Amino acid sequence: MLSLSTILPWSLAGVLFGSLISWIPGFHIFNIMALLVAVFGVGEFMPVEAFPFFTVGAIVAYAYVSAISSVYFSVADESAVFLLFPTQRYLLLGRGHEAVLLYLIGAVAGTLILVLSALFIFPRVLPPIYQATSPYITYFLVAIVVFMFMSEWPKEGDRGKTPGERLWLAWRQILGGIAVFFLSGLLGFVVMNTNLLPVTSAYTRLTPMFIGFFGMSWVLLNILSNPPMLDQKTEDNVESSVYNMLKASFGGALGGTIAAVYPIITGGMGALVAGHMTSQRGDDAFIISQGVNRVIYYVGAFTLLFLPNLRLTRGAAAWLVSSVYTPKSYAEYLAAVGVILLSAGISFLFTYYLSKVIARSFKVAHIRKLSYVVAVTLVVISYLLTGWMGVVVLFISTAIGMMAAAFNTRRSYCLGGLILPVLISMTGNTGAFMHLLGLG
Amino acid sequence: MRGFTHYISGLAAVTFFPALVSDLRMGILIPVIAAAAAYFPDFVDFKFGKFFARRDYEIDPAPWDEKKHYAPKLVKISELSEKNRYQFFAVRGRVEEILARGSGTISYEIVDKDGTVKTVSEEYNSIVFTLTDGTGKITVEAFGDDYRFFEDEFGEIKEGKEMLVFGYVDVGENGSLRLIISDAPHPQGIAETIAKAIEEAYREGERIVKIHNIRLPGDVYRRFWIYLDPPKREVRVEMGPIVTPGGVSIGGEVPEYRKYGIAKVDVPFIKTYPKPTSVDSFSGPEIAFRKTEFNGKTVVKDRFLPWHHGFSHSLTMGVIIGLIVFALFKLIGYSHATELALASMLGQWLHVFEDQLGFMGSNLLPPITKDVVPGFKLGESGSGLTNFSTAWLMIAFMIWNFNRFTDPRPIPISDAKLLLYLIWPSIIGFGIAIARSFKLRREIARLMDYYTNLDAFEELEEVGGI
Repeated sequence: MLSLSTILPWSLAGVLFGSLISWIPGFHIFNIMALLVAVFGVGEFMPVEAFPFFTVGAIVAYAYVSAISSVYFSVADESAVFLLFPTQRYLLLGRGHEAVLLYLIGAVAGTLILVLSALFIFPRVLPPIYQATSPYITYFLVAIVVFMFMSEWPKEGDRGKTPGERLWLAWRQILGGIAVFFLSGLLGFVVMNTNLLPVTSAYTRLTPMFIGFFGMSWVLLNILSNPPMLDQKTEDNVESSVYNMLKASFGGALGGTIAAVYPIITGGMGALVAGHMTSQRGDDAFIISQGVNRVIYYVGAFTLLFLPNLRLTRGAAAWLVSSVYTPKSYAEYLAAVGVILLSAGISFLFTYYLSKVIARSFKVAHIRKLSYVVAVTLVVISYLLTGWMGVVVLFISTAIGMMAAAFNTRRSYCLGGLILPVLISMTGNTGAFMHLLGLG
Repeated sequence: MRGFTHYISGLAAVTFFPALVSDLRMGILIPVIAAAAAYFPDFVDFKFGKFFARRDYEIDPAPWDEKKHYAPKLVKISELSEKNRYQFFAVRGRVEEILARGSGTISYEIVDKDGTVKTVSEEYNSIVFTLTDGTGKITVEAFGDDYRFFEDEFGEIKEGKEMLVFGYVDVGENGSLRLIISDAPHPQGIAETIAKAIEEAYREGERIVKIHNIRLPGDVYRRFWIYLDPPKREVRVEMGPIVTPGGVSIGGEVPEYRKYGIAKVDVPFIKTYPKPTSVDSFSGPEIAFRKTEFNGKTVVKDRFLPWHHGFSHSLTMGVIIGLIVFALFKLIGYSHATELALASMLGQWLHVFEDQLGFMGSNLLPPITKDVVPGFKLGESGSGLTNFSTAWLMIAFMIWNFNRFTDPRPIPISDAKLLLYLIWPSIIGFGIAIARSFKLRREIARLMDYYTNLDAFEELEEVGGI
């Protein structure tokens, strides 16, 4: 194992790296790390044993600092063509900084829950529970997908003039969601199972697809909606209650843990399940629980790679790191927990002050201009990682991501791009499906 | 209970059947059907039943603009009529003539939290002008707090000025239409329609009222509350602040003079749940008013979401689901069709039982039983405590069963000990819920006792025979 004097600088470098890129809309730490590894390699510029600690720092920073992009750079116009996220509503009310503070409360709670769990609960409880339930992961995964479809809440339909019209308006949205899921799934299946993208892009072949589903479609919505740039308050006030904070922290931790431990189940899906289980309501509670959820989902999932008696590889970053070096000892596990705490402290301060700066200077550069720059950057990243076919995949997945917004349905249906091919594979039907599509 | 709580109960029901657990381990995912069956009652009610339900009255305080899907709807003046009284609209037009500018004292009645009416007088400024849009002409008025808002928004008003104004429609004494500048509909329209429905229900047997919510630009909602006040024989509607879909108030309180709407009801009615109906985000509720007997008196009783918790939420439906699942999967040759049918039936029954823990209750065994059996009142359907306790219990059962039916056992401790380790959070949760429910039960019992001794009911017998 590396000495502390080596771990610390690389962890801090990870935090710095994560902090610098995580506030930019459309950028995801996993994509940028993949780019970093693809372009520079690991052993060239850092010891391979330091890479997991560098990654912990970067992921913790992402879990904290990405609050900035989701609050300040994801605004919709005042007409609200599509439903708004709570953070967007806060921004439209000039309370973007408050939304960041609520998120930070959640992120700190999430960090504390994660660290305490990592020290006292994970090593004892996770292995037996995981062993008892892991053979049934496909069951849970299918169950969550079926529930997503069955529980879609029709946002329209109430005002139709006849029962038939009401039913159509409601089901138009539900069917739109199903279409998004299966189109995403089809794209994901083709990307995963054909040589559409170069074999040299083994670790990053899904990157352009996810950039399109979530990053690029988000940036395009910013451009299309041409949002108003409103004055933002910079006071450190939050409107919430201790009860809401505790409840949100509990719900967020539950959802984050489910997503961190079980493969394919993402933070959004975990949040959906936990939100229903704990019956959450309230924008403040939602934002706080997002903070908790994202920290536990991203950082917790990666921490499982360090847990010697479990050593689960969860998430793109863990796969990337484990291809280079997998930590093996409890000393490394404890060091990782320490790095989480240190990184969280630095990321908290960075996010807090960056939020203040952005809130003060919010109107200096219009988000639309920034979005154009980011859109071009995302195309370049996709090209560098996967070539021109990657750019084609990016455009198709962006269209699917935009479809979700147009149908006023859940963006998480785009996860079909990952879930459907994995389910087909887990149930042993890949060959049959390839044949059905005329691909094999 | 929330949908996922029911759904996870179906997932857990599957795990009590070793044959199905064995199938799951082999990657056969058909047993997920049981979870769908457990969620089926809500699915069928909220995705189908709701849209086919009868609506005798449809209250839409602020119709949506058809393109933008929020209020106020931009209308032509010729489209407005008396039946739009108190509804919130926007009109684009040209100022034709300024009829009056002035100031004075306005007196109006306000209602406090106890329902006491008092008269308030205050100084005000006002403007009255006519607006034309080529299809007609309407008088526009702004006064009091709304005048200040109007002045901020439009500045100096001159004849010939083009403008977009919004407010609620009112009808003058001579029957002429007016648009009163405001940022919300007037609650009086809601109160009057509900009162009318209650009176008609007393005569005709049942009236169902659909109340739409008020969605404003920016995905925010104007909250309002409906108070049914049986002792005073009043329907009181209070217009509240603007809230986000997450229920956070973001201001926008309306002035006192258009905050309350009160309508008197000529017939006796009772309210079965001791809280007002709050309407904000998602969709507005349906309330059925039904004529019924209460302690030997004829009264009207309310029922929230009358299309919910009907046949779909009965044990009979569970049997039907079981039979259909059995027939279907036997037909396609699934070797554990019997177990799957039983798990599906059990899942649906768990849904019925879980909902029975709340307030609404269900008609449990139609056609043998005809009416709803009241719920156990352990907590509201959205209660985090009961939802979590139930969902956790189901997760515990799943882990427990997975462990029991795996050889060698992944968690090598006795069944009883493992179950106890797993379910303690649910035991604590249900314990707290039961303790809390006593308070609410006492409150409801007090309310029913009060209704029983209400003079107003006797009085009505005299007014009676309506």
